[in-house]
Parts: sequence; structure tokens; C-alpha cells
Amino acid sequence: MKALHMKKGKKGTARWLMLAFLLTGVLAWRADAQQAQISGTVIASQSGIPLPGVTVQLAGTSTGTTTDNEGNFELQASPGGTLVFSFLGYLTKKVKLTQAPHITVKLAEDVKTLNSVVVVGYGTQKKVNLTGAISTLDMTTKANEPITNAANALHGVPGVFVNLGNSQPGVDRGTIRIRGIGTLNNNNPLVLVDGVEYDMNELNPNDIASITVLKDASAAIYGSRAANGVILVTTKKGQGKSKVNYSYYYGIQKPTFLPDAIWDPIAYLNLMNQAAANEGKAPYFTTDEINEYKAGMKTDPLTYPANNWFDIALKNGMIQKHDLSFSGSSDKYQYRLSLGYLNRDGIMFGPGNTEKKYSLGLNSSLQVSKRLRVGLTLDGYYRSYTEPGYTTASFWQYLMRALPVENDTLADGNYGYSYLRVPGRNNWEQPRMIAYEGSYKKYVQRFVASVFANYQLPWDIAYDIKFGVDKYDGELKTFVPQMVKEQAKTGTMYNWNSPSTAPRAANTDYNDLNLHFYNTLTWNHTFAQAHHLNVMAGASYDSYSSGTFMAEMTGYLDGTLTAIDAGTIFEAMSGNDTKDALESYFGRVNYDYKGKYLLEGILRFDGSARFAPGRRWGSYPGLSAGWRIDKEPFFHGGNAISLLKLRASYGRLGNQQVPLFSYLPAFSLGQDYSFGGAGGVLSSGAANLAYSDASITWETTTDYDLGVDLDLLNNKISLTADVYRKRTTGILHEVNLPAQVGNLDGPQENVGAMNNDGFELTAQYRGNISAFDYNVYGNVSYNKNLVTDLKGQTLYSFNTNLSTITKKGLPYEAMYLYQAIGIFQSDEEVANSPKQSGDTKAGWIKYKDVNGDGKIDGDDRVPMKESSVIPKYTYGFGLDLSYKGISLNAFFQGVAGIKEMPGGNYGYPLNNGAGATWEWVTDSWTPDRPNAKLPAIVEANFGSKENYLPSTFWLKNGSYLRLKSIQLSYALPEQWLKTVKIQHVSVFINAENWITFTKYREFDPESTVNVSSLYHYPMLKTVSGGVNVTF
Amino acid sequence: MIIVAGMALTGCNTSLLNTTPNDRYVSTNFWSSTAAATAALTGAYQELKTAGLYGGIATPLWEETASPNAYDYDNTDSWNTIAEGLQSAATGKIIPSRWGACYGGIGRVNTFLENVDRVPDMDEDLKARMKGEAHFLRALYYFNLENYWGDVPLITEQPDPQTQDSLPRAPRSEVVDLILKDLDTAEAILPLSYSAGDIGRATKGATLALRAKVLLFEASPLLNPSNDKNKWKAAADAANAVITLAPSAGYGLYPDYRSLFLPENENNKEVIFDVQFIYPQEGNSFDLIDRQYNTNAPLLGLAEAYEMKATGLPITNSASGYDENNPYKGRDPRLYATIVYPGDTYMGSVVDTKRFAITGYGLEKYSVYTEAVASEDVADLKEGQSYTNYIVLRYADVLLMYAEAENEYAGPDLSVYKAVNAVRERAGMPDLSPALSQSAMRDAIRHERRVEFAGEGYYYNDIRRWKTAETVMNATIYKWDHTAIETRKFDPKKDYWWPIPQAQLDLNPNLKQNDGY
Repeated sequence: MKALHMKKGKKGTARWLMLAFLLTGVLAWRADAQQAQISGTVIASQSGIPLPGVTVQLAGTSTGTTTDNEGNFELQASPGGTLVFSFLGYLTKKVKLTQAPHITVKLAEDVKTLNSVVVVGYGTQKKVNLTGAISTLDMTTKANEPITNAANALHGVPGVFVNLGNSQPGVDRGTIRIRGIGTLNNNNPLVLVDGVEYDMNELNPNDIASITVLKDASAAIYGSRAANGVILVTTKKGQGKSKVNYSYYYGIQKPTFLPDAIWDPIAYLNLMNQAAANEGKAPYFTTDEINEYKAGMKTDPLTYPANNWFDIALKNGMIQKHDLSFSGSSDKYQYRLSLGYLNRDGIMFGPGNTEKKYSLGLNSSLQVSKRLRVGLTLDGYYRSYTEPGYTTASFWQYLMRALPVENDTLADGNYGYSYLRVPGRNNWEQPRMIAYEGSYKKYVQRFVASVFANYQLPWDIAYDIKFGVDKYDGELKTFVPQMVKEQAKTGTMYNWNSPSTAPRAANTDYNDLNLHFYNTLTWNHTFAQAHHLNVMAGASYDSYSSGTFMAEMTGYLDGTLTAIDAGTIFEAMSGNDTKDALESYFGRVNYDYKGKYLLEGILRFDGSARFAPGRRWGSYPGLSAGWRIDKEPFFHGGNAISLLKLRASYGRLGNQQVPLFSYLPAFSLGQDYSFGGAGGVLSSGAANLAYSDASITWETTTDYDLGVDLDLLNNKISLTADVYRKRTTGILHEVNLPAQVGNLDGPQENVGAMNNDGFELTAQYRGNISAFDYNVYGNVSYNKNLVTDLKGQTLYSFNTNLSTITKKGLPYEAMYLYQAIGIFQSDEEVANSPKQSGDTKAGWIKYKDVNGDGKIDGDDRVPMKESSVIPKYTYGFGLDLSYKGISLNAFFQGVAGIKEMPGGNYGYPLNNGAGATWEWVTDSWTPDRPNAKLPAIVEANFGSKENYLPSTFWLKNGSYLRLKSIQLSYALPEQWLKTVKIQHVSVFINAENWITFTKYREFDPESTVNVSSLYHYPMLKTVSGGVNVTF
Repeated sequence: MIIVAGMALTGCNTSLLNTTPNDRYVSTNFWSSTAAATAALTGAYQELKTAGLYGGIATPLWEETASPNAYDYDNTDSWNTIAEGLQSAATGKIIPSRWGACYGGIGRVNTFLENVDRVPDMDEDLKARMKGEAHFLRALYYFNLENYWGDVPLITEQPDPQTQDSLPRAPRSEVVDLILKDLDTAEAILPLSYSAGDIGRATKGATLALRAKVLLFEASPLLNPSNDKNKWKAAADAANAVITLAPSAGYGLYPDYRSLFLPENENNKEVIFDVQFIYPQEGNSFDLIDRQYNTNAPLLGLAEAYEMKATGLPITNSASGYDENNPYKGRDPRLYATIVYPGDTYMGSVVDTKRFAITGYGLEKYSVYTEAVASEDVADLKEGQSYTNYIVLRYADVLLMYAEAENEYAGPDLSVYKAVNAVRERAGMPDLSPALSQSAMRDAIRHERRVEFAGEGYYYNDIRRWKTAETVMNATIYKWDHTAIETRKFDPKKDYWWPIPQAQLDLNPNLKQNDGY
């Protein structure tokens, strides 16, 4: 049977290299030892699991070895000597040798340094031996926090920027960026759960043991998907005596920020008239109308309301969660079975704002024979969430344009609407109607199941194989009833939506199946008790398929029945079906000399279906080295310095995230037209909509990292520092074409190059004063992004609605703005200044004539240095205090060096019929208020746009510092619990996002990053409390 | 053995990476059937329906608001920016979208013309006819470009960035030459009419009518400052060619002016070329805009422009019979077919001054709503639910184009009267008084165009080409009760032409901006 069938040519060569790589390790043959032989097995004292990789050292000599994959060791020593067993994560143990030829040694876990074994790609490594830039998050530090999605736990991990755009139940996922933005395409890191690619947000955070972030060349082992960094999630396993754990929390949630809106109807009406006057238009409301309203408010508040819609439409949200797990292990098996239930009711009124998640986790393995271990892991959710019939997005859009004059429910129970005619509000929305009518229900079953086996071959070689299935089944059911509202004054009923399309129901089915397979051979051996070699080689195949199907019906008699077959008229149908595949070969060699000189080499070959044949294969090498200076004889750190390690790494990573089949010149269908007049039918049309380039291939990111790790004062102080450069070349991007080229979208091309330079600093100090333990930690990350080449192109605002520019010499998506230099104080000043527009007059924003041509136009825009997308600095710091059973943990997180510019409703005043913030009433320019902060008010959408050009006037500092979480917990004394046979009980209270320090006032600064509007579900702050019990 | 098998499973199968799209064609396998060629031509028609040209929500109806006839308080699609003379390179919506739609259409036509011969076993007659349609469409797209921007890049080959993305603007005259050449090509091939399933495709009459329109624009004061009579002659001849063709092509004035614009009368004898909409897939929102949004609100000036029916005199004439206290009584019937006014009956109820609060007026033309109560199924048409075709070229336009050109070339001869009076008679208006001077006839024809085509988006181009925009657009506009809404501005040095969109200047530095921007 052929093991690796080689093809000639480039691909073949690549694989030969691979084989050579593997053989290098095999050919370095072991040397024989000579003395009397001692053998033994090292096991974990609690679980009885054999421990591989334990350092066994004969005290006072240089003789030593490490245990193999089954925890066994052999070495030459004479009786009477002392063996020292050390293993990271476990307490060091000394054993005096007797005559016995075989000894069994039990090592106890060192809880404090449990983190010290780090999961890396296709294996684990000791933290002290790491040569790459790797951050780890131990999820026990996040225990009991009301974290709804795993991504939201990554706030504050060095080098990782997490941004939560909204907190809507069901869709509150954070965006994760590792060491900046490296591409114009998808910047999401690759996430693997127990080695299998998966969405980390589809896991119950309580089932996660730890999260490892590979930030540099160490990610090269994942080749073409690694350029954005790799996140390795490890789920919890059973450990030791069987136990049952139950935890519960309950919390209340509120928005962190809401705009300071005008809820005084008269102030609003006057402001509208002020805007009309400033625009040179007739007043929108006559004095009689305003007087009528004033009088009406006293006598008939249902018709003439003064509604604060934030008060009406928003309530406290509720969150609660139950977690139950059973776990345990022995030398034969390991299991953990967990169940979770999360229940949320959001801050919006109405039924369309809930979330329920039922999770199931199983992590189990069984020692079938001495050589074979098999296992199964399964993690998944059945989850559902609801939105209003017209979606949560439109609810917020409508709420953020609600006016104080908008009627709520009228006396007869109908949804009211205002008799006033407001420009831009032809069909008054009714927030209550939007919140309560119709339904939008999403049901998701998603799980990742994997089976794996580990087989110990002779000569210290282990074979691992894993097959994983990631299945996503989603169903979206929406129903929109016919919605009717009543004019408050006349009682006229009006259809809000058209009876010809409502009631309507739609079902969408989502069906994704991703298959992942890999197998590896690992050879772990120590030569001459000094040269430790670990060689791994493997192959993998990943296939992705995704499909949707949607059907929509109308013709329902009323709003009672909502099933798709209760409708009678076909309305719409659509669907799609895509496939993608990735084929890979990879290998890694780790070598260390006495733990002093550390070397790691990685090589991966990836073939992707996203490119044309001949352009599919790419190779990704990674090389890194470490030097334990503290182990050098010349180093005299003494006891003060327990670790001093220098690290350096270099690697090449790829990114393939372009839309499928971008290399093909496609003729798209759907460009339809009808012939045949009134009785005609739709005729299928086709057109080329985008130009394509068949020569596109991988993006390449080259990573350089230099780091130092330092542990001081018996590990009381630990410091880590890294500097890096990430250089991405061949960035795939759509090249904009002038419309004269057939109005085609531009081709995807490998056009760009971008640098991300930065540093990360982490420091920790822990200690105790008798029973009082404390731990202070903090980190800061700096990242500077610079586009170094775009082949002469300039890209404008392609990713956001903001006015941004991306070109050589600027950071990615720099704001591109007019320079506001104050407010015109008189018409003479306008006349004597460069011409802006025919509209400009006193009270208008004055712009700088940057190019000095006497007029203000697009050429006077200037790129800002700050990105609108990603901050320069991210930082976090925290404090853990504990005294006996009481502990207090506080964690702060912040960003700095980012600018935001909200537009649309409340970003600009009176936008298209929306309201304004209160400062427009008190602090906008009038001849009597020449020093006002804001210019003269004009309606933002159809008044003069002059004031609302994207200018520095509207640019806001998006920096913030937030008390992300603070937790106080109390563990009941064990002697109380012993009598009722309970191991552990703690109670806790927790506050999330409770305090935010920022200059940004309009909305939550975190949720406004990279968006141009304020109308979305706001960030929430939570106060919660609960209990955690272990039997 | 397990290991070897495991490694081999992924070891040698490169076909694992072969995936092909299942939802689109690729240009290498596309041109293989007549159906594909037909679809490509359909795609070239499709651009007509986009928001940049005659479709979107209600683009042609909004175009009226850049004229003294109507007002878009909401500045939807930036038409009010144009009305106020504030358009610039940075102006979004219609200016860039029209530029893009025209070149999108041109690119599709060029692709079709360049590749259709690759289709095997295609019927030669069908292929020739389809090529004719393509030439007509390219002429129409280029006409829109040169009409709004003047000089524009001239491209006749299928889209290719290597050769086309830095082309500068070609002189407008070269563009017009291409339009006329394309129309010649199309005229020679296209049939007079189509059988049922193909109605809506370009006909020989459409090529003639479009040529008349192009030549009339060429002869008009904006483009013919020296008043070269030969240009008027050419325009008159071109319009006359349509009139001559009318008996055989079946063209004529549809007897009922109001129902000319109803979906049940689509493609009637007055229609020479229209843009086809269909419900529910490819609709427009004309009814929604007319009934509810009122973003094409007629202005007082238009309401006052309609003459008195009995006398044929303008209301400013004391002999007209106009009653100030009863302003909407006894007027040109086209007023009632076009505008909803305070006191009118609309959709079954009497209209108060708040019904159409912007100006007091609503547009009735191009919607299904009339005096009668609308039936339940259409009472509340929303976005994309209307399917009334938009008429790009209609016979009344041809008659008035002929009258205008002939009057300028030869003076108000009998044929001029005949053409204008035909349009007036159909509307129920008395004939023009005989013995008008050439200039009085010019005024009469200009008035006739304003009221005949009110609400249809024609008038903006009329006041541009007449060079009267600098007068009529430098004016205050009023509501029904004579309260002022705003004062518009029009700078004759720049506002007759649209600015090249900023994005195009950025992407192609060889494009030179129009004067004044």
C-alpha cells in the first residue's frame, strides 16, 4: 500500500520535503545507556492518569529523562540516589531509590500553575518550553460571570481586541481581532474546539476549560487559515473522584448608554420650526398648531402626548443560567457530562426579545488496551431566540426615531399615530406595534461531535486520528400580520403595512455540514538525557457545505394561523448551496537541549478550492527559538530570577478568505425583465456583474516576534513582553473600477500589503499576607496598522458607511474628512471665506480650504491618523483579593486611540423625521448664542447637508475604560459542609459593564466602533448573583 | 496499517478540491445556446428598470421635481439638490446612479454584440433582430449620458479594464454620431411590432422616435446656440418619419388621456417605447409615491399653467373665464387627470388641504388611483408593488417634437397646427387660435409640452434644452395657498450639465470635471 503517493511537479516536491522532514527525526538514532536500570510509572495522584513528559532527574547529577506517552520512564541509577520528578502543573516530588526495579510515583496537581501546560496545534507543550507568542485564558478566572458567549470572555487577553457590537439576546457575539487588522478581507481568527474547527460561540462558556491564542508563527501549523491568529478552545474534562457540580445565577440588565433625546413635544416642534427657518423654508408647524398642542397636552394627553419612548419601550432585562455537570476519571476512563440552560428576556418591551439555550457537553475517553485510547467529545446547543415580526433591527431603528409627539396606545386600545405631519414620516411607525406584532423565531441545533483514537506504537511513536462533524441546523420562522393604526385625532384607521403582502409567513432553513479529519504521527524521544526531540507529521482534510432554503406565503385569512401551509398565495422562494474544501499536510519538530535551547520548526502545505487549479497550493513555514538564560552557568540570577527566557519567531501564514469562485468570470442570473405587456411574464436575464481575475491566490502574512518571559521572586512577579511585526502581502481585494467599464464590480486581486507593528506587555504580581491572598495583573497592547501598498489604488468607504479612505501610507480605513475650523459668525465672514456652497450662511460649520483653491470640495478632505475600526491601544488590568472564604475580583478593560463618527438618527439632528439630542435645543448656534457648541440646526437629511458633511466636527474620541466585571464571592467553610457531605458551596454577586469612563456621550463607545449609526441594540450592564455547589 | 490507510485517505486525491459553482454560469460556458443569448439581451434591457434610469422606486416621476412643476421635500434621490442648484461631484443618489446604470447597460450591450456570434445553431433572423435591439438600447443609454453630462467616455467593446478604465471623455459630437449610427443599424433590422410575448422590445418606430428626440435636443438652444436651421430641419424630418410610419405601425393618440397611464392599457397605440414592469417580481413604486409619500408634489405654478377648457386661454387672461374663488372649475381636463387638488375627490373621499400637506397637491398620473374608491387589493400598494409601465417615447411627444422643430425651421405652417391641435383635441381642448406668430407658436408648443407631459419627468430636459431653466428655476415655489416653500437657484454657467461623480474622478483621473464644479 502506498503511504504518500507523490505527484511530480511543485505539489510533489512539497510532499517530498514533508517526508524528508519526518525522516530527519527518525534517522537520529538513540544511543544506548550502560548502568543498572530503574524503571517506573508516573501518574497523577487524583485521577491516576499516566503523565507523559515528566522530567525525571537524578539529584546532583546531569542524569535524567522524561516519561513517555504512557507515563513510563527508564534510567540508569544506583540505589540510594534520589530521583526528582518535576512536571509543570504538578508539585515537584523527590523519591529516594530503593532496591525495587520498578516504582510508581504519584504527582499531586499544583493548582496555582495548572496553566503551565499549553494546548498548541495538534498537541500540547509545556509553557516554559514555548517559543511562540501565545496567550492563554484559564476560564476558571471567569467563573460565575454572566458571560453569554465565549468570545465575550476574551476581553483583556493581551494582543486580542474583542468588540461587542450589540447585546441583543441570541446574537450578542463579539468580534475578535488578534494583533490588529491584517487584511482587507475576513479578519476573523480560526477557532478550533478540541482540535476541530468550530464556532466558539456555539459552546456553553461553562464547558470551556481554557482558551489558547496563537498570535505569531506558532499558528503556522494551521497554514492558510492562520493569518488572523488561531484560537484553540479546550473543553473541560473529568478529573479525579466523581463529582457533581451545580451552579446558578440570576441577573438584571440595563442599557449602558442611551442618547439624551428630546422628549418635550413643544421643544421638539419649536426646534423643527427653527430648522425650517434656518433652511429658509416656511415653518413646519404654525403657531396655532403649537398652541393647540400645548393646550391639548393638559386636557387630552392621549391625542397630544408627551411620550418618553425610552421609558415606554425599555425595561430591565433578565438573565438566568443553570449549569449541571457530572465528572470523574480513573486510569481507565475519563468523563464529563454537562447540561446547561440559559434564559434571557431582553430590555425591549413585547415578546420579541428572548433567548433560550440548552447545552449538552460530553467529553469522554476510554483506555481500551495498553496501547489504545479512544474517545468521544460532543458539544452543542439547542437554542432559540425571538425578535419582533419586523426584526429587532427595525425596532431599534424606529425607537431611535420615536418622537415625543408619537402616540402610544389610544383609549380604545388601538395603536395610535400622530395627526401631525412631519416631513420624512409619511407612515408613522409605532414602536409598540412593532414590538408586539408578528413574530420572528430562530431555532438552532448546532453541535460538534468528534471521535478520536490514540495508539501507542513502538519506539515512542504515537498515532492520533480524529474525525469531527460540525452540524448546523437552523430554522427561521417569521410571521408579519396585517398591522393597523389609528390617527389619534380623527380616529381614521390606517394600514401600516399593505394588505396585499400581509399577513405573510416565511420559513428559512439553514443546513450546514462541515467535516474535519486529521491524523498525526508523533515521535517523542530524549537522546543522551539532554536532547529532547518531538516530531509530528500529519495530514488533514476539511470540507464545508452550506445551504439555505426559504419560502414565503401570503393569503392568510387573519393573524391567527402562522404555518406556511395556512397561507394560500405563493410570495417568494429562494435558496443557495455552496461547497468548499481544504486539503493539508503538515509537520512540526521541537527540539530542546536540556530545556535550555529551544527550537521549533513548522511546515504546512495547504490546497484550497477557492482558487483556480494551479493556484491552489501554498506552503507555510514557521521557525522559532528560545533561550533559557537562567539555566546558563554564567547566569547568576540566584533565587530572585526563576525564569528568564528570550524568544524569537518567524513564520509565514496564509489567508484564503475571498468569496468562493471569485476567480471565475461569472454570468449572474436574476437580471430579469418582462416582455409581453400586461399579460407578460418575467424573462430570465443574465449579465456579467463583476470582472474577475483567474490568477488570484493566497494572501501571505509574514510574522516576526521577539519576546521575553521573566519570573521573579519565586514566581511572585511574572512579566512577559513581545514586539512583533505582521506583514501581509498579496491582500485579496476587490479593485474598484470606474463605472465606464460596464459598471462592473471590480475583480478580486492580490493587491495589497499591510503592516501591523506592535508590542504587548503583561505583568502579574501575586502574594499573600498570612491568609490574605492578592493578585494584581495587567496588560497593554499597542498595534499600529499601516497600508504599505495598494498598487496605486485608493479605496473609499468600502466596508462601512463611514467616510473612510484606505491607501498606501495610511492606516486601514482612516477617516477621510473635511476639516472643521469653527462656525461662521456672520454672513460677511461667509462672503470673505472660500466658497463652500450656495447654502452657507452664519451659523454654518466653516471648513478649511486645505488645497487653497478658494473653494471647499472633495479635494479638501484630509485622512485622519486614527482608524475607525480598531484601536491603537487595548489594555486590561485586574485585582483578585481573597481572605479565607471571601474573594473579590475586579477586572477593568479599555481601548484608546480610536475615533468614531455616528451618523443618522441622533448622530445628526432631525434626520429624516427623527428627533434630536437635547443639546440641539440648548447649545446650537443662533445669533444670540454665538459661542454655541453646535452649528445652527438644519434638518440632516433634506435640509442643507452642508453642516453634516463628514468633517472633523463630528469626530468623537472612542476611547474608554470600563469596569468590565467585579465579583464578590463567599465560599462556605468546609467544616460546615462536611456534615452534609457537600464538597464546596460558594455564593457570589457580580456586576458587568457597571462603570464606563469615556468622553463619548452619544451611546456606548464599544458598540459604536465601525458603524455609522446609533440605532442598534445597546450594550448592557448586568448585576447578577448566584450559587455554585459541588457534591 | 491503520496509519497508512489514514494518511492515504487524504494523501493523494486532488479531486477533493474540485468544486464548481452551481448557481451561476461562467463566460466560457455561457454562450452555448439561444436561450443564453436571449438572457444576455434581457439583461441589457434590465438596466432600464434600475433606479438610475426609468425604474427604482419612482425615478422618472421624481425627475419632475427638478423642474418648476413639482417639489421633492424629502430630497429623495437628491433631485431637490439639483432643483436648488446645489449639486456637486459629491452629490449622491441619482447623479452617480444614472452614470453607472448607463454604462452598465452599455457594457451589457457590448458584451452581447461581441459574443452573440459564438452561439452555435442560432436562427440568423432572430440573431439579427436581437442585434438590432441591442443597438437601440446602446443608443438610448448613450443618449442619457450625453444629455446630462455632455462629453463622456465612448466605449463600444465589452468591458475590459485594461483598455477602458482610463479612457477620457470623448467629445459629445462623437457620442451623438455613435447614437445615430446605432439607430441606423437598428432601424434597418427591427420589425414594426411584435407578437404578444415579445411586446416591449425595441421596434423600428422606437428607433425613429429616439432619433427624433436626439436630433431635437441637438437643434435646441442649449446645443445649437447659433440656431443652425438645418438642425431643426433634421429634427423635423426625423419626427415626421414616425408620423409617416404611424399608419403602418399602428401609432396614434390614445383616446382617453387619463387611462393612457393605467396598467390595463399598457402598450397601447400611443406607446412607442416603454419600460416594462411586472408584479410581483419586478415592480416600481409609482402608486406609493403618488398616493402617500408625495415626494413628487405638484406645485402651484403647474396647477396654474393649465388653461381654461372653454376658451383655451390661460387663467391670467381676464377673458379666460377663470374664477379665482373657484380655481379648479372649468380647466383643461388634463389638470384633473394629472393632479389631485384641494377639494378634488380622490380615492372616494374629498381631499382637504392636509391630505397632500407638502404643497396641497398630489400627482394622480401614473398611479391606479382615481376619484373612485380603490379596490381592496390595490388600495394600499407599497414599495415595489406597482407595475404600470413607464413610457419613454409616446406618440404625443413625437407630434409635439415635430411641431416644435417644424415651427423653428419653417414657421407655424399647417402641419404644425395639425400636430399640436391633435394633442389638444385628444385632451378635450379647443384648437390653437390660427395665425400665431412663430414666437407665439413657440410659446404655445412649450406650454403644451408642459401640461401634456406634466408629472412624467420630461419637463426638466425641456427647460434645459430651451435654456429657460435659468429663468424658471431661479424662482420661489409655492403651495396651493400661495405660501412660499423655498427659493431655488440655477446658475447658467454650471447647472445645465451634471457634475461627473467624485468616485469616477477618483478612479479615473483622466476624466475632466464639467465647468463650474
